[in-house]
Amino acid sequence: MTDRFISIEAIARRYPAAGGGSTTIFENLWLSMARGEFGCVIGHSGCGKTTVLNILAGLDEPSEGTVIVDGQAIDGTSLDRAVIFQSHALLPWRTVLGNVAYAVSSKWRKWDRARVKAHAQKFIDLVGLAGAEHKYPSELSGGMKQRVGIARALSITPKIMLMDEPFSALDALTRGTLQDEVRRICLETGQTTFMITHDVDEAIFLADKIFLMTNGPGAVLAEIVENPLPKERGRIDLHRHPYYYALRNHIVDFLVSRSRSFASDVTDRDPRHVPTVRPGVGEPVIVSPPRVVDPNPAQSAAR
Amino acid sequence: MGRSMSTFDDPFDADRELTRSACVCGRHRSTAEHEHAERVLRCEPVAVSEEQRYEGVVASAVMRAVFPQDAARRAFLKSVGASTALAALSQFFPLKSATEAFADAGPPEKKDLKVGFIPITCATPIIMAAPLGFYARQGLNVEVVKTAGWAVIRDKTINKEYDAAHMLAPMPIAISLGLGANAIPFTVPAIENINGQGITLAIKHKDKRDPKDWKGMKFAIPFDYSMHNYLLRYYLAEHGLDPDTDVQLRSVPPPEMVANLRADNIDGFLAPDNICQRAIYDGVGFLHILSKEIWDGHPCCSFAASREFITTAPNSFAALTRAIVDATGHAAKAENRKQIAEAIAPANYINAPVTVLEQVLTGTYADGLGGVKTDARRVDFDPFPWQSFAVWMLTQMKRWGQIKGDVDYKAVAEQVYLATDTRKVMAEMGLTPPATSYKSFAVMGKTFDPEKPDDYLAGFKIRKSS
Amino acid sequence: MPLRLRAAIVSLVLLAVFLGAWHLATRSTGTAASMSPEYARLMGLTATQGKSAMPGPLDVGAKLWEHLKRPFYDNGPNDKGLGIQLAYSIGRVGLGYLIAVVVAIPLGFLIGMSPLISKALDPFIQVLKPISPLAWMPLALYTIKDSSVSAIFVIFICSVWPMLLNTAFGVAGVRKEWINVARTLEVGTVRRAFTVILPAAAPTILTGMRISIGIAWLVIVAAEMLVGGTGIGYFVWNEWNNLSITNVIIAILLIGIVGMLLDQVLARITRLVTFPE
Repeated sequence: MTDRFISIEAIARRYPAAGGGSTTIFENLWLSMARGEFGCVIGHSGCGKTTVLNILAGLDEPSEGTVIVDGQAIDGTSLDRAVIFQSHALLPWRTVLGNVAYAVSSKWRKWDRARVKAHAQKFIDLVGLAGAEHKYPSELSGGMKQRVGIARALSITPKIMLMDEPFSALDALTRGTLQDEVRRICLETGQTTFMITHDVDEAIFLADKIFLMTNGPGAVLAEIVENPLPKERGRIDLHRHPYYYALRNHIVDFLVSRSRSFASDVTDRDPRHVPTVRPGVGEPVIVSPPRVVDPNPAQSAAR
Repeated sequence: MGRSMSTFDDPFDADRELTRSACVCGRHRSTAEHEHAERVLRCEPVAVSEEQRYEGVVASAVMRAVFPQDAARRAFLKSVGASTALAALSQFFPLKSATEAFADAGPPEKKDLKVGFIPITCATPIIMAAPLGFYARQGLNVEVVKTAGWAVIRDKTINKEYDAAHMLAPMPIAISLGLGANAIPFTVPAIENINGQGITLAIKHKDKRDPKDWKGMKFAIPFDYSMHNYLLRYYLAEHGLDPDTDVQLRSVPPPEMVANLRADNIDGFLAPDNICQRAIYDGVGFLHILSKEIWDGHPCCSFAASREFITTAPNSFAALTRAIVDATGHAAKAENRKQIAEAIAPANYINAPVTVLEQVLTGTYADGLGGVKTDARRVDFDPFPWQSFAVWMLTQMKRWGQIKGDVDYKAVAEQVYLATDTRKVMAEMGLTPPATSYKSFAVMGKTFDPEKPDDYLAGFKIRKSS
Repeated sequence: MPLRLRAAIVSLVLLAVFLGAWHLATRSTGTAASMSPEYARLMGLTATQGKSAMPGPLDVGAKLWEHLKRPFYDNGPNDKGLGIQLAYSIGRVGLGYLIAVVVAIPLGFLIGMSPLISKALDPFIQVLKPISPLAWMPLALYTIKDSSVSAIFVIFICSVWPMLLNTAFGVAGVRKEWINVARTLEVGTVRRAFTVILPAAAPTILTGMRISIGIAWLVIVAAEMLVGGTGIGYFVWNEWNNLSITNVIIAILLIGIVGMLLDQVLARITRLVTFPE
């Protein structure tokens, strides 16, 4: 079951509505990822993507269904699943080192100060913040803050890294640099990563799999897009790749029109077996036919 | 009523009778024997040791037994001299051991005591007993604690923060009856002072000496349950003013009275001294009358303790009572007054200019209108808690609506004013307490008969309609 | 000229003007009613020399110097040096305040963290909070039966509310994301309270504590005037008793200075725990 390292099974999230009854954000959502995979969820605001991430993180609970990670149903938060928050969520009264060390000492409670510090320093160096260890968050730029957030998440060597629109608050230039860093680190460490974004280019650059969600309420996972671009890809020349536009158009097309009309267009949808598409030259190729349990052998090969 | 100091008399003074009469302590005699006898037996607590004084008491008792006739005793003393008489008596009566038996009342259960006081000259005996060593002589270590006001001193005594306290004479009655607080049995073993108050008016009223012109004026009194309240009301009513409708009476803490008078918030006050004299000293008021002009010999403040204290620490209580009675006796002597004024003036005690206290205590004072007056009994000290005082206060409490319904005057008076116990203590100390607990007296010419309080009360035209 | 210096000069000028006006206003009028020497001997200076009842700055200065020369004398239970009186007051404030801290901060945490408790306690807090601390005094004296404990209780009761409310407010207002950071790191409740909620709410809590110490200091003076015994409030009352306005002014000055120092200490601590975002 290595290719189902993360398995989201039939989860739903409902909130009590104003006049009694309840509003369903999404229901019967199935989603799975393999170990070492980089998955990106794209969807409009309100489709419940942050809720999915929070459920995965254990910060929120599904109204129905379960999430299985590494063969075990999750119950609350875990040091196995690190979260990188959109607002970086650094503790402003702690220095860079203090923030990372806080995470380190939370995971390894018995470590002495020196060991915690050394370990934290390693990850601060990894994200390129050497020299800024003793600065407070308020003295850092937005990009540097998010680097600290990444260092903090990585420092506890989690099984999964969960990123909630981590770069959305950054300027384009910083965002680009950080995307490079994240891709480098994920490739180096083989980190399984689940990310939420609404930046199509970011998804194309970073993700192995892109999950497209329709608009909420009653959002559904419409399809899974497999990234056809080669593993070795650079942000600079990404758009020169022949599959790039097909992929990008497919996603944008979904976001612009299909995400809205999906529910009425597709009636025979099986939420357990969401179609996987692999956009390339010409029409997108549906790689996984419906009702096949193991959706993506090609994915494993790609690794 | 003669001088009240008979309890402090010298039984070996050949010139006086062994009945109540003027005190002659401090008078010097020509014969050496008499001087010696006086030094030994004089009721001069500061100079004489406890044992010596008790010796005098016992000797006095023996003398009385041997010579029941005053004339015979005087003749005997005159012929042989006091010392010889004493020596002769000891031949057939072991004075020493008898003295010890009297003095030995048992050690105090509690030695470290706290006694609260309000910084006014009424508290003189309570205060001076500390610097002049009266408490120490009874084997007590008493801390006298200055207190912010009558309600506070009441609460602190009820709360047992203080073992005993200086209270306005009607307060223990009010506390025992549960007026203004929960009823808690309180007692008065000794009256602090008699007289010593005065009606002070703002200088601007110096031509309004007839109380009939006082309609609409504002007066301050220290507390509702105070002799000040009753005396002022009595005085006003005797002049045809209804104190509840014709004037305004306000409870004001004594220290604030002078400031209020200066600020023109009040027109005058009936207040304890040193407050009256202080208003004169600061040039803001003048003395209209002394309270003794309303009732000469009226009680003002009392020394009070809860009944619980008496039951739990009877020896401490007795020792405390002895100390207060002693101090009161000392304060009663005119020649001690200057020394007392100096002893109680510092910030630790009354905290007032010595000149002011001297004027109050010596009775030679500026009247605020440019004159110097002398009245040696402006304030005086007599410890005996006459139960008739309590009965009078009860009549006034009823008169002004503080007590509603019937009251058993005597029962309350006897519960609170411990005349019997004090008489015993005083007798043990060798003093001559009055034989009765009730006496008749006159307030503004109107005689009060403690046997007929209801008739007395009925005689008032102006009173609160109930 | 730097602003600070200019401000200092203006302050000094204002002080000089104030002292000058005060001095002129309280000068002896020099005239006094004619009176016999015998009578004059018995009267105070206000009556004999037309001296103002209000002391001038020179009187106050001289008296202040006298107090400063021997701040710790002890002439018995009712007359102690200003240093001792201040120490009593500060001690009472310190104790009552400390008890309030011990009660208010944990309770504030509870209220801030639990909407149920917050809602359940709210009506009580809303009713109790606006009660003047001195209104508690008779009740305290009656039930506690000890005046200095009552004074401490009054300090407690007046300093507890700002701390309680600010703690609850600060704790309830801790950013969700910081809590989430702790949750994802599997930080236990106690450690989370100390490492995330406390530092995050500290500036708000300290603001409450700073308000409290100010109120406590205001109240102790009044409470000591009521119950007497010891303390700077008692000193004011005792000197008022003697109509010594000079000493009352000195006490007012000292009360102001000590109050300012207490406030500054708390302000400094607040700065220490405040974090820029």
